[in-house]
Amino acid sequence: MSEAIEIQLKKGVLALCVLALLSRADSYAYEIASQLAKDIDMGEGTIYPLMRRMQSDGLVETYLVESQSGPPRKYYRLTPVGRASFTQQKTEWAAFTKAVDDILGAAA
Amino acid sequence: MTRNEFMTRLRRGLAGLPAVTIADIVADHEAHFAEAAADGRTEAEAAAALGDPDRLARELRADAGLRRWEETKNPSAAGAAIVALIGLGAIDIMFLLPLLMGVLATLFGFLVAVVALFVSGGLVFAMGPLAAPPGGPMTAFLAGVGLMAGATFLGALLTLATVGLVNVVVWYGRLHFRLLKPAIDNQG
Repeated sequence: MSEAIEIQLKKGVLALCVLALLSRADSYAYEIASQLAKDIDMGEGTIYPLMRRMQSDGLVETYLVESQSGPPRKYYRLTPVGRASFTQQKTEWAAFTKAVDDILGAAA
Repeated sequence: MTRNEFMTRLRRGLAGLPAVTIADIVADHEAHFAEAAADGRTEAEAAAALGDPDRLARELRADAGLRRWEETKNPSAAGAAIVALIGLGAIDIMFLLPLLMGVLATLFGFLVAVVALFVSGGLVFAMGPLAAPPGGPMTAFLAGVGLMAGATFLGALLTLATVGLVNVVVWYGRLHFRLLKPAIDNQG
């Protein structure tokens, strides 16, 4: 049961985490996937459907960068819409976690 | 699983999507394997971390189907969206199908009635001068036009209702899918 809750929570915040990573620096899918796999234990395959969705929602855009090891890499960067969405979601997230913390604190 | 097996199953699962979309998704995953290899991981490790290619393909297909419905509201897109959702197991068939069938049958019944009304309007319109109806040919002519206009109006209402229905199904499917996905992942 607790595992189900954990997975639900992760699914919900995955898009927010990707926005946060990209707000710091442009990145490519493999790097984003391995970062999130390491930090919040996400399945790496989840990243590709998510990136496609975010791209068609206009939150991110892509460009190619030559790489020393093999073919050019597809980098993602935030669009202005993506940046605005990140700011808004971050605020919502902070308000939400604070409310939950308050309730948990009151229950303790 | 080797890289080849993974890519074959992914490609098979994506069949039916536009060629450009498939090429794009395939390129993304090929690049992933290349990066993983450069990172010193084996093909088996990379494939395991990516997850089940059949399920990934289903998710990508369902998403493409929903998006197509949102962009072009035509019958084939509606069909594709519903088929994609069912393929995903997102619609709880046991619960929803009887309900959906009932609503679809009702809509179909209305459609038949509207077409019949339009045709009978056309008949009254055309027969007016020939059959010498009560009130004279002009009455029949106007009644016919009235019936056809009414049928067209009802047809328009019916179309709106159908679009609304498919939207609701898509919305439900999305919601359901989001809730269901963790459970699917847990099984896998």
